Order: sequence, then C-alpha cells, then structure tokens
Amino acid sequence: MSQVQGKAVLLRCPPGSSLQDEGRMLGTQFGIPSSGAMDQFSYRWANHLLQNQNNALALEMAQPGLKIQFEQACKISLAGARVVVKVNQETLTNPTIISIAAADILEVGGFQSGSRLYLCIQGGFQVDQFLGSGSDFESVTFPSKRSTNDCLSYFSFPQSLPIGAKPKWGTTWFESAEIKAYPGADWSLLSAEQQHQIQTRTFHLSKFSNRMGIQLEELIPNQLEDLPTNPVFPGTVQLTPGGRIIVLMRDAGVTGGYPRILHLSEEGQSQLAQKKVGDPIRFQLMESIAAG
Amino acid sequence: MKPTYQIISPTLGELVWNAEPTDELLGYQLAYLTHIQNQYSSDLVEVRQGFTRLSLVWKTLLNQQEFARTLRDIQLDPIKLPDTVWEVPVCYDPVFGHDLAPLAESKNLSLAEVVHLHTAPSYRIHFFGFLPGFFYLNGLSSKLLAPRKSTPSIAVPPGSVAIGGSQTGVYPMQSPGGWHIIGRSPLTFFDPKQPIPVWAKPGDQIQFLPISVTQFDNWKEQLPKSVQK
Repeated sequence: MSQVQGKAVLLRCPPGSSLQDEGRMLGTQFGIPSSGAMDQFSYRWANHLLQNQNNALALEMAQPGLKIQFEQACKISLAGARVVVKVNQETLTNPTIISIAAADILEVGGFQSGSRLYLCIQGGFQVDQFLGSGSDFESVTFPSKRSTNDCLSYFSFPQSLPIGAKPKWGTTWFESAEIKAYPGADWSLLSAEQQHQIQTRTFHLSKFSNRMGIQLEELIPNQLEDLPTNPVFPGTVQLTPGGRIIVLMRDAGVTGGYPRILHLSEEGQSQLAQKKVGDPIRFQLMESIAAG
Repeated sequence: MKPTYQIISPTLGELVWNAEPTDELLGYQLAYLTHIQNQYSSDLVEVRQGFTRLSLVWKTLLNQQEFARTLRDIQLDPIKLPDTVWEVPVCYDPVFGHDLAPLAESKNLSLAEVVHLHTAPSYRIHFFGFLPGFFYLNGLSSKLLAPRKSTPSIAVPPGSVAIGGSQTGVYPMQSPGGWHIIGRSPLTFFDPKQPIPVWAKPGDQIQFLPISVTQFDNWKEQLPKSVQK
C-alpha cells in the first residue's frame, strides 16, 4: 500500500497521556519497566479493528479533554473508556472506527464509564523504537509523555481499508467488581485468616493509583517481613509490612521485596485499569494450575 | 541446588531456590537462564531474575506445562562466574554523602571506617531492578547493615551510592529513595542512547574506589575501567 507521512497536532492534551504498545519486554533485563498499555484488552481490540500489527503504538489517555487535528487523511479507532467524541464539533453516535479527512479536528469529552481510552491509527503512531518498543517512559524515551502542542507522526494510506460493519462499544466487561486472580508466588506465606480476608472482603481503589500501581484503601493486618528481592510483573499484588495492598501495573519496577500475594489474570489487569478511585473490587481466586 | 518450578498463572511461573543468595546460587541461576534461553526462546516472552527466583513468561500454558515436565530431567552445573571487576569511583565526601555521618554515628564508626568497610569488598551483580540500570549487589559488610529510612528522600540525585537494609547500590537516575546516601559516583549508569543501556551484566563484580571532591569535579570518563581478577 502506498503511504505518505502524516502528522497530527495535539491542540489540547490531557495530563497523563502517553504513547503505548504491548510493552518493552527486551528492556526488563536492564531494570526497565515493561510499560505498555494499561488495558491491553482494549488496546488490542482497537488495533485489531484497523488490522494493525500487534505492537502498533496507540495514544493512551486517562483523562478527558483531548483535541487533536490530523493534517492528512487516516483511519482511527477508539476503545476502552466510554466517551463522547466529536469530529469537527459534530458528535459521533458510535465512535469505534472513524474515517478522518485532512484537517479534521477530533475532540474527546467526559469519561462516562471507565478510566482509560485508546486512540489507535492505521499503521500505528511512528516513533524511534528502543529495545523493541515505542512505549513512553521517563528517563528511557524522549519525550516520556505527551503534551499540548506536541505532534504525532503516522502514515496516511490513500487506498485505505474500507470500514465495514461497525462493532459495538462495550464496557460491561470491566464494570463487574469481581477480578480474577491466581494465588501469587508468596500466597502460601499468608495465614489462613489473611487468605480468607483477601478472598471475601470488598476493597476500594485509593487515590494512590497511577501507571506504576494501584493501592487499595483497606488494610490486611500483616506481620510478614520483607523477602529477598525477586521479580514482579504487571498484575502482581503485593502486601506491604503496613498491611497495604498494592497492585502493580505496567510502569512498575521489575523486581520487589514485598510478599507477592496474588497475580491478576490478564483480563483482571485490563479490568482494573478501567476502574476509578473509590470503585469497589473483590478478588475472585482462581484454582492453582497443575503442571499438566 | 536443583530448583523447583511453581506455576503461578497460565503464562507465568518461576524457578524457586529456597536458599540464601550467594555466588554459588547465582551460578546455578545463570546456568538455568542460559539453558532456558537456548532451548525455549521461541516459547518465551520474557525472563526476569531475582535473588532466589527466575521468573518465566510463556507464550501459552502448553509451553509452560511442557517446560515444567521436562525440568525434572534437567540437571545443570553452575556456570563459572565472570572475572570482570568494574572499578567505580565514588566521592564519599559529606557534600554528596548526606547520610554518611548519621550512619557512621549510629554504627559507632568513624567516617573513614565506613568508607573502608564499603570499599574493601568487591560486590557481585545479581540482576537489574527497581530503576532502569540499578544493579542489585551482594556482599555488603554486616557492619554496615542499616534499616531503610522511615521517611524516603523525595529526589536522590543520579550517581548516589547508598545502603538500604543489607543492600548497597547506585541510583542511576534521580528518584525518590529510602536508602542512606553515603557518596556519589561521577559515572553514567544508564544510557538510553546506547543499544545496550548498561555497561555491566549479572555475574560481574563492582569495586568502589574512593575519590576526592576535586577528582569528582574533574572526572571526564562516563564509563568505568574493568579489570580481570
């Protein structure tokens, strides 16, 4: 397919916006967090709609307010949080795949449901890759986040893919409070009482929630000492000496010393990424997996 | 030192050694790491190393179960750890080592004794974690163990050399941190402009060399010298 270089200007960029892909797995051996889209499920879906390659870069937003102008024609897709979307001030009814003409301005209004929105573009946004990924991360990529007046590069495909039937925008999958989780590497160190509390209590997301991790409000009384520093992953749930539960997310460091009590399912990680401060969650413990 | 294997999620599991981190254990970990990377690279997404675990992310549950079955038949010898020692200059002047004096006082040691105890051993690099380019070192003198600070510093400067618990290490970049800062190195510990952003690897050793403030100010090289021991 012939392609020309395209450019999009972030006329207004909400704080906390970044370019993300599946993650920088080649960097973790050097201590670099994997990064990548917080809600991989929605990110992959939005890419799939455009028949993009798996690792195509998308713009991740955690707040409303985006105003972006595309200088060349392109196809984009949106997934994740349910939002009001306007193109040239006209509200779209089902903004999943959108055909953009040169100079069109797209605006994102309030998040009606969910916490993270993905804007994918046919072919992906273009940056210099580092260790196999274009995901933004402080001290590793420059820039490390996206700001108002920044430009994003993409390829504009004149013979673009046709837009067929539009898929529906679903959000019910992340609205459930039940989060599937496996017993973590250090689950067996917990007392029966701690295990019982973790499986039966309702927890709430605290305001200490970002791309590194999500802290929960409720405490679990805990006497466990720190352990030797060992690997942690997005989805690892840690219990601090103070009894605080921290769910590690995509920008978390690659190792940690707190007991690793749970590991969220992949679906559970994406679901949690769409929760807001104050939302309730319950851990639904999955059975340990047999060696086969 | 044969590890067990713990399956955690359909695609995540870890090799488990219930032992103290030592050179010997690291030799076994690196032997398993090499074996796994040679035999299973097309089934793996990622490997992460810690003091007593080697965590494996598989493409599918079947890949993981296949590995778990074959592990029983694997018996590996530890690798011989590298002879490479990296000489890392550190200025222990209190102008950089803000916590050196209080740490020395809490240990009933003089500043010179703390510096001597910190520069005497060479430290083994086990893995990178916490921050990009932050190496976890084994070998701190038991006389220098110090619980992490109750109130972490908001911004530890890059190059800061610190002690936390039974660990010592160097902050490659500015970061919040709860370790006691005892000095600063003029070297670069993480450079994202290089295809491989760190200069050392797990198994290598670090030797800290004391330098003066004047030497620190005039230090030109960004990389350390390495010697074979």
